[in-house]
Amino acid sequence: MKGKILKCLFLSAACVFAGISLQSCGSKDTSVTEIEIVQYKPEAASYFKQVEEEFNATHNNIHLTIQSPNDASTILRTRFIREDYPDIIGIGGDINYSYYMDAGILADISDYQGLQYINQAYLDIDEGLKIIPTEGVFAVPYVANAAGILYNREIFEEYNWQVPETWDELIGLCETMKAEGVLPFEFGFKDTWTCLAPWNSLAVGLAPADTAKQVNAGSTTFSVEYRETAEKYMQLMKYGPTDPCAFNYNDACTAFARGESAMYTIGSYAVPQILSINPDMKIGSFTMPANNVKEENPLNSGIDLQFCVMADCKNKEAAYEVLDFLLADENIQKYIDAQTAIPCKVGEFQLAEVLDGMEEDIVNGNMKDYQDHYYPSEMAVDAQLQTFVIRQDVGAFLEKFDKDWLRYNRDIIYKVQKYEEGLK
Amino acid sequence: MKNERKRTYLMISLPILALFICFNTIPLIRGVYYSFTNFKGFGSYDWVGFRNYADLFTDTRVLKSYLFTFKLAVFTTIIVNVISLILAMALNSSIRFKSFFRGAYFLPNVLGALVVGYIFNYFFTYILPAFAQMVGIEALSGSILSKEGLAWIGIMIVCAWQAIAMNTIIYISGLQTVPEDVYEAGGLDGATGWNQFRHLTLPLIMPFVTINLVLCGKNFLMVFDQIMALTKGGPAQSTESISYLIYNNGMSGGQFGFQSANAVVFFIVIVAISVAQMKFSSKKEEQL
Repeated sequence: MKGKILKCLFLSAACVFAGISLQSCGSKDTSVTEIEIVQYKPEAASYFKQVEEEFNATHNNIHLTIQSPNDASTILRTRFIREDYPDIIGIGGDINYSYYMDAGILADISDYQGLQYINQAYLDIDEGLKIIPTEGVFAVPYVANAAGILYNREIFEEYNWQVPETWDELIGLCETMKAEGVLPFEFGFKDTWTCLAPWNSLAVGLAPADTAKQVNAGSTTFSVEYRETAEKYMQLMKYGPTDPCAFNYNDACTAFARGESAMYTIGSYAVPQILSINPDMKIGSFTMPANNVKEENPLNSGIDLQFCVMADCKNKEAAYEVLDFLLADENIQKYIDAQTAIPCKVGEFQLAEVLDGMEEDIVNGNMKDYQDHYYPSEMAVDAQLQTFVIRQDVGAFLEKFDKDWLRYNRDIIYKVQKYEEGLK
Repeated sequence: MKNERKRTYLMISLPILALFICFNTIPLIRGVYYSFTNFKGFGSYDWVGFRNYADLFTDTRVLKSYLFTFKLAVFTTIIVNVISLILAMALNSSIRFKSFFRGAYFLPNVLGALVVGYIFNYFFTYILPAFAQMVGIEALSGSILSKEGLAWIGIMIVCAWQAIAMNTIIYISGLQTVPEDVYEAGGLDGATGWNQFRHLTLPLIMPFVTINLVLCGKNFLMVFDQIMALTKGGPAQSTESISYLIYNNGMSGGQFGFQSANAVVFFIVIVAISVAQMKFSSKKEEQL
């Protein structure tokens, strides 16, 4: 009897250990370097699958794995908690990037040769995302997106409407549309993040680009800088569906694709989704005319995807080789064709037809980064905007914005102030 | 022989205990540890003492999520238990196709909460408003999930629809433990109808009521999937449950430390409620 028990115990212990050891000693060929990329755009998964295959077919010394999970930022964070870092991460140029940079888990890649081909405007945007000025470059901008207004060319041609270039023209056009019985805008505010799309494209024209930094330094408040943005945002709501928070992003894209509205305030990233519903649709785009002077309306454009090498990466040379491959002109062209994106690399690229209304601003560099790239995600500005849409109270919205900002950015503000004291 | 058997039981439970400590207790302790830091989920962090706990009680979003979760849990628990007790009595009586009905009413429990959530999402967004417009009910002509005051009712309906199945089964098994002669004896003393239910059935199935109340209450306090599928915390942050907030801000937002503190408090709250509920209900239990 005793022997049996011991045997059982031994077996069960063996099972547990076998499980653990299997995980730790997977067979590894030492001559091949493993490079793992986790990138956060699931919609581009098939592109990255193809890149992965092509890369592995042409390289014997490096084996590349690219993962494109849904909700990658959560997956990345759970992996970071376990200190299980991929070699390269593909993320957006937003506050997560600022946090990762600040946490010191990204490698300085200023010695990477490929950086010289990147458009300076995007390198500057990354520079602006540093919480406190730090030496070094921590990401290679890959592609950018632009947000403004998408419109249905066929409806515009049918009624002979012109693309508006000023705020008054836009409101006038919306009134005309309403009179004709055409719904001007589609909104999908049930998915809270979509509330940010019109907000950002208005804010770039109406508030200083470094509003968040100025507030952190204590020189202004959002109540002052965002009042006009909030008021104009509210004005746009009048021209949307009666219950904008009932529908999600998919619903709104579907409705726009079916011609249920003439315009949709969203970024270029929505175009593939809209075309998947209605492949024959003729979509046009223009910069949000937030001001009444055309020249004062910058295009809302930010880094949609960039690659960061992790500080933990064992073989930086191999990582750079992978980056070189990703940044090859033909691969970037493939990406921007599939995703209607804007390349961050300088060169002769063929932009999607949809973007022709924004091309002038892109070529002239008349672009400003998304304001929400500075908002901490746990503050949930998107949900606050949704609340604003429902309650329609400009004062309360701005007051809460200021109050929550101080609360959620306490550590950052403390850091910035300490840094500035150090300068004095 | 007796000692031998005891040792066998010990040997069986030891590996389980080891696994439990490994995957439950240690993470719990780590969570408590992180709740005293400003850990964002990655990188370096500082020790902040009780700041997270002090913040918890002044954070309106957290307080709102507690209010919402308790409101949802209380109402849903009551509704689920009343309906499933009625259903159980109906399904326990001698009606035709009894086993078919029992199977049919159990079906919702087999489906995944996310699947059910997405189906109801479609129902609330498109079908219900279309139906309301057709019949001419003004109040329901928009999606109830987009109304700040009504969205929680949508979630309650989905939670209840699914939970009733399991509770009904537990109540049926409870009703079957009540022997027929008790009713016969009670009938002689004039206990029929409501009196019979009030003074005979209910006290005798009280252990099952306890189980159902505790399970329901605990499940609904930890509601997550339904929120994820139906509203994602909206509209206007009115349906953020505690679990949802902990997951959302702790994982994808950079509040790992703060939300760990929230989780610790929530854990204490749930334990306290469960203990209180068991104490309260066991007082009302009757033994035959």
